[in-house]
Amino acid sequence: MRILLRFLTHLSFRAKISLGLAVIIIVFGLLLGSMSYVISSRTVLDETIKRGQILAINLSARSVESILAMNFLRLTVLATEITQLGEEADISYAFFLDRDGQVLAHSFRTGFPVALLQVNPVEDDQPYAVRFLDTGEERLYDFAAPVMLGQTRLGTVRVALSYSSVKASLDRLMRISITMTLGATLLALIGGGLFARTVTRRINALRTSVGNMVKGNLDVRVSGNLDRNCWEIKDCHQDNCPAYGDRQRRCWYVAGTLCPGCGAGEFPDKMANCLDCPVYRHSVGDEIQSLAESFDYMAWRLKNHIDELSRSEKRLSRQKQLLKTILDVTPDMVALQDEKLVYLAVNKAFCRHLGREEDEVVGHTDFDILNPEQADRNFHEDRQILLTRTPLSKEIMTRGGEGKKWHHVVKVPVIENQRIIGLLSTARDITVVKQYQEKLIHSQKMEDLGRLAGGVAHEINTPLSIILGYAQLLLKDLPPNDQVAQDVAIIEKQTQACRKIVADLLSFSRGTDQAREKLDVNHSIREVVDLVEQIFRQNRIVILSNLDEQIPPIFGDRERLRQVWINLLNNAADAIGTDGCIAVKTKLCPHRRRLVVSVADTGTGVAEEDLDKVFEPFFTTKAVDKGTGLGLSVTFGIIKDHGGRITVLSPVPSEYQDFAGECEYEPGPGTVFFVELPLEGEILPDDECIEIPKKG
Amino acid sequence: MRRILSLLCFALVLVFLGCDDRPAPLKVDLSLREEISPEVRQPVITYAYLPQFSHTVSFERHQALIRYLAATTGLDIRQVFTENFHDHIQMLAHGKIDISYANPFVHALATERHGARVFAKIIELTGEAAFGGLIISRRDNDEITTLADCRGKRWIAVDQFSAGGYLFGLGHFIDHGITPADFAEIAFAPGPGGKQESVILGVYFGHYDVGTVREGALELLADKIDLSRIRVLARTPRYPGWSYAARPGLDDEVVERIRQALLALDREDPEDRLILEQAAMGRIIAASPADFLPVRDLVRRTGL
Repeated sequence: MRILLRFLTHLSFRAKISLGLAVIIIVFGLLLGSMSYVISSRTVLDETIKRGQILAINLSARSVESILAMNFLRLTVLATEITQLGEEADISYAFFLDRDGQVLAHSFRTGFPVALLQVNPVEDDQPYAVRFLDTGEERLYDFAAPVMLGQTRLGTVRVALSYSSVKASLDRLMRISITMTLGATLLALIGGGLFARTVTRRINALRTSVGNMVKGNLDVRVSGNLDRNCWEIKDCHQDNCPAYGDRQRRCWYVAGTLCPGCGAGEFPDKMANCLDCPVYRHSVGDEIQSLAESFDYMAWRLKNHIDELSRSEKRLSRQKQLLKTILDVTPDMVALQDEKLVYLAVNKAFCRHLGREEDEVVGHTDFDILNPEQADRNFHEDRQILLTRTPLSKEIMTRGGEGKKWHHVVKVPVIENQRIIGLLSTARDITVVKQYQEKLIHSQKMEDLGRLAGGVAHEINTPLSIILGYAQLLLKDLPPNDQVAQDVAIIEKQTQACRKIVADLLSFSRGTDQAREKLDVNHSIREVVDLVEQIFRQNRIVILSNLDEQIPPIFGDRERLRQVWINLLNNAADAIGTDGCIAVKTKLCPHRRRLVVSVADTGTGVAEEDLDKVFEPFFTTKAVDKGTGLGLSVTFGIIKDHGGRITVLSPVPSEYQDFAGECEYEPGPGTVFFVELPLEGEILPDDECIEIPKKG
Repeated sequence: MRRILSLLCFALVLVFLGCDDRPAPLKVDLSLREEISPEVRQPVITYAYLPQFSHTVSFERHQALIRYLAATTGLDIRQVFTENFHDHIQMLAHGKIDISYANPFVHALATERHGARVFAKIIELTGEAAFGGLIISRRDNDEITTLADCRGKRWIAVDQFSAGGYLFGLGHFIDHGITPADFAEIAFAPGPGGKQESVILGVYFGHYDVGTVREGALELLADKIDLSRIRVLARTPRYPGWSYAARPGLDDEVVERIRQALLALDREDPEDRLILEQAAMGRIIAASPADFLPVRDLVRRTGL
């Protein structure tokens, strides 16, 4: 059974239908054939029995007179004649008995078989009796009928019909039945085969189309063309109707058709109006046809949807690419985390900052990519944002290989449908902004300091002049060797020192008048270098000059600029102490709108935290009696008065450490001062000079 | 699936069971054969009714009467059937019939030629002791409307020994000047039995133009043919009716017992009346040979 089922399962649909039809037809053919044979054979048997009855009753009626007359000859003739009746001669015997059961006449040629007297008795009130007999040679139906006259029994008639002739009839019937059943079954099988072929041909077409669809070919067509299309049936000429000229789709699958009776909307919503439409009634097919048309419609819709999807995908892909490009190109770090703080997306800047690939970040948390301390801090901060739903904005400073870095961090909870689904973090590098900010604060501070110093100096200058004047008057009045005169001389000397300090303070705060003239910066520097070179040499300090001869003359205060160079060189020599080199370099910036003077030394350098303070008044790292802390302040003030700028770097950047191979001393960290002066005007141009390295 | 298969199998089984619903045949051995000659039991007293009608009618009419006679007299009386009138006369003459119930013509011949004895006669159901014959033709036969028209026509009579069916008619024709020679053909109805009916049917179906039957014969066929299509041309004079005769040599005592029994039938008695009416008799009365003189005279006149 299981093998049979497996065999049936593997058969093709057409084979199954054909086999099923064949089985049904054969079974019903056999059933009908058998039933018709049974009914026919019963009819034949009934007819035979009826014929036997009629024969017996007829013979009974015909024999009355002869029995009454005891006409044995006539009875014998009756008996023998009847056995020769008909072509079939199927009457085996006939005989007559009198009322006492004595044989009156019979049709047997060779004596009467007495055994027949014992079988098939018939009563007076029975019209006949029938008995199926087996004589050994043949089988026969024995009919007995009483010979009655009124209520009087005259005798009995017995007639026998041979079963062999009945059987021959039955056999003939069976042959006819079998032949007809076979013929009908064959015809039904041929018809069934044609039917199965018709049905499966269309289903196979559907299957082929499905196969094509699976392979991606959506240009399938299963349903055939109509003999008459809707515009031919309606005889309309509305060539602006979407169904007009569309031979592939039935009009009820087309939306927006213009027939007055057509419903609005698409299939199947518009079908309600179609059922009574003459076009629909003419064109609608059977279920398979409807299936094929629906399939075509589905394929068409699918193709349209897929085309639309494909276009949308391309658009989306392009938009995604654009978005990614924007995110990747932006210098800001952008990261999106889900509500469990797992990274969903990060941009390249973020990855760069972490020094990891995107794959190493996406799908991980801070604990996977940061140090535990930082990750823990971030975790609590992020959780706080997600819990409070409050965005966070802060500036953080980090120190790394590239020095101090400032970032502006913004963390925003991503809320969708009142629910937090993640956290968007952005971080912008604001180091430069921060530097500018610091510079601004610093310059503001210097400005305020200058104003303060100028005010103080101005107020002190007058009492100092009075003290100096009275001290000098006293000296004139006192003999030089007098102890008092010597004390007054000390007052005068110290007052002079105070005046110097006040003059420096005024100089820092632009408190002094400027004597501007055209001058050569290189020349000014050379004068100062020549002046100090001898003194420095005593301490084995070498000044190396590299002056750009292309520098044009500038307008400036000759004396005060000399003061600048002296201050810078002194400062460098103080930083070196003994055994070192000072490199003085002038250079015209490429855009030829400013010049740069750099003074680099091989000294001890300046601590980073002190770099911003070196230009402040009274700031000094020297011993108390070695300097006033006003040298660089004065320098700062002078350069500022010239519309220039002075900056300091320590340690000296590598490109400035190379003292052209002329310095034989071991270089220290060193310090380099850059003085920028405008060639024209009183302020520096906007464009930076690339010669000056940025602060780290 | 399984249920459908089971149903199909059940249907097939039913069909094939229904194929052979004959009862099992009864075995009969036909090899044992005997030459059987019917046992001829000679009845003590044979009773015969002149076969003017079919044997069936004869049997039905006289069966009850014979049962009554047998019961009353204690004799073994059995009805025998003769093929025709001639046979009847011959069997009566040869003693094969003990008691004969026949027409006056037959008994006139039998008494005169063979010594039979008439011992009783009947009164017709009509109450008459005499009866006559009818001369009939087809009503649509316009050629025959009077007796005279019968000349040259085909005449069918019941039997040459029939009284009402031939003798009376012949006498009537002769009385009207028509002799047997005047007919194109004189035929007698074929036997055995049923001869009155045969005559009527012969005329009815047009095989013969004229027929002669006894009174009351037409009514026998009332339910078989349309009697209105039969025209009664003439009624013969009436002659003494049917009678009982004993064969020559029959024991007088037997004759007397039978005669007494016959005469004892009382029309007023319901059972007797039934017997008499079945036999188409009014009643039975005693008879003497002189009663049949008019018939003898007629026989003589007709030259039979």
